[in-house]
Amino acid sequence: MDNLEINTKVKEAFESVLEHSNFELTNETTAKDVDGWESVTHMLIISEIEEKLNIKFKLMDLMNMNNIGDLRRAIEQEINTK
Amino acid sequence: MRLIDKLQHAIANNLDLNAFHIEGKDYSYTDFALHISKIRNAIQATIPQSEKLIGLVTNNDIETYASILALWFEGKAYIPINPAIPYSRNEQILKQTKSLYLLNSSDEIITFKGSTTIATRNLLATAINLVPKDYTESEYAYILFTSGSTGTPKGVPISFSNLNGFMAELDRDPSYNLEATDRCLQMFELTFDFSVATYLTPLLYGASIYTLPKGSIKYFSVYKLLVTHKLTVLAMVPSVLDLLRPYFNEIVATQVKHSIFCGGKLHEDVIKEWQKCIPNATILNYYGPTECTVFSGYYAYDSDGKTKGKNGVISIGKPFANLDYLLIDENNTIIEENEKEGELCIAGNQVTDGYWQDNQKNEKSFFISKIDGENKRFYKSGDLCLRDSEGDYMYLDRIDFQIKIGGYRVELGEIEYAISKFIANKSIIASDFLTKNNTTEIGVVITGKQENTTVEIINYLKKSLPSYMVPSTIIFVAELPLNLNGKIDRKQIQKILAT
Repeated sequence: MDNLEINTKVKEAFESVLEHSNFELTNETTAKDVDGWESVTHMLIISEIEEKLNIKFKLMDLMNMNNIGDLRRAIEQEINTK
Repeated sequence: MRLIDKLQHAIANNLDLNAFHIEGKDYSYTDFALHISKIRNAIQATIPQSEKLIGLVTNNDIETYASILALWFEGKAYIPINPAIPYSRNEQILKQTKSLYLLNSSDEIITFKGSTTIATRNLLATAINLVPKDYTESEYAYILFTSGSTGTPKGVPISFSNLNGFMAELDRDPSYNLEATDRCLQMFELTFDFSVATYLTPLLYGASIYTLPKGSIKYFSVYKLLVTHKLTVLAMVPSVLDLLRPYFNEIVATQVKHSIFCGGKLHEDVIKEWQKCIPNATILNYYGPTECTVFSGYYAYDSDGKTKGKNGVISIGKPFANLDYLLIDENNTIIEENEKEGELCIAGNQVTDGYWQDNQKNEKSFFISKIDGENKRFYKSGDLCLRDSEGDYMYLDRIDFQIKIGGYRVELGEIEYAISKFIANKSIIASDFLTKNNTTEIGVVITGKQENTTVEIINYLKKSLPSYMVPSTIIFVAELPLNLNGKIDRKQIQKILAT
């Protein structure tokens, strides 16, 4: 899976949970930049990404996830160690 | 010794130690004492002696915790006002208590008609003063408001005498002993009475309190604090474990001494797994309505597989030594036999003297009964329990959750238990709900990925439950809806089932 494909799937996960596409995801994007991205929806987004990419995040990764860049790094790591 | 005197000495004797860790910053007992003293000064300068019930905006900062002690040392009660809940509800609360003053540490200005706000941040420094003012034990230490069925929040006043009773019980008990070296989790809103145990107990022993950062995802933060600061005492609601459960294999916290629970059903299968994460901890399942000052008793989990329970839910054990439990049936008759279910009623020095200005509710919720030749005042908890032959109590459900379907009495916990035998490691909540045709049916909400079809589950249940107990609807959700206290939001579940 290349980066473009990962980014597309991440965007799709956000859109399907938040039910809008009114945002852009750069490495610096955090929850306060995206409408509706808060603690409950965050968990839904995480499970959606896990399902779409067939990966399982570690609690340690989730706990240190502060922006989209962290999320992308965690995804890469999970895909590489699979 | 009175609780207030004990607090005074505990703070004064531990000035060099760390008291709080809030939003990444440490505060020593000296810092804490200085904040308390500054706020006392402000209270003395502004609030008349006769004003006893003071609103407190519950922010996650040192000033808010210091305000509680400042109010207590001044012989006053705090009424927690959570800025995250609707303004109109907070307004109703302050109107009910006729509170003329409100303490607020945040820069965000909150004003209520008729009350004066005292800003507790950036007050002038002053010498440490922890000497309590004169007060009587029957005066209130706090009033918590819970949702009332009529829509008006109902107030539960807890006196200093109630609190003394509660602290004496925790003190007496060797299975929950704290030391100055302990690092304790405080994950609760101050509007939730479990918080009284999680901030007050550590303060009495010079231990340090770690609060959850504001706006964070609660169970991530619990884990982060646990690993970063090697917490030794974890007080949690059971729902936190449901959320952490998929990650249990990553958690190894050998330093944890005590893992205590309150505020919901504690399931034995989760605890069995959780115990492996905290192999050296005692696990205590506390029980207690707000009306009886935080906890009224507990059950110690036994990892040797001898744990008592009912429907997979761990027992709530026996009452504290100063309290009496009894069970009554629908006609308010005391149930003498064991193994028979009834409403749990509690008497003793921790029981509130009644709901705030609500005689109608008080008449329904309290009654006098003669126990061992002595008249005692009992509080009806609304919890359905049974007692075994050794005097341990099993929690079944809220009485309100014992529903009637087609004339049959159904305990929702029994349905949840039956499903858990078929689907392992999921949170399962059964509930009655109103269909579009205005009929009452039973539905079930299950967390996580759907691995069995609804038909498979229903077919399985048909073999183990009478047909009137088999749910008509099963819905899978990513996670259970929770309220502000982290408890399962039953109304939300009924909504999910109804759509």
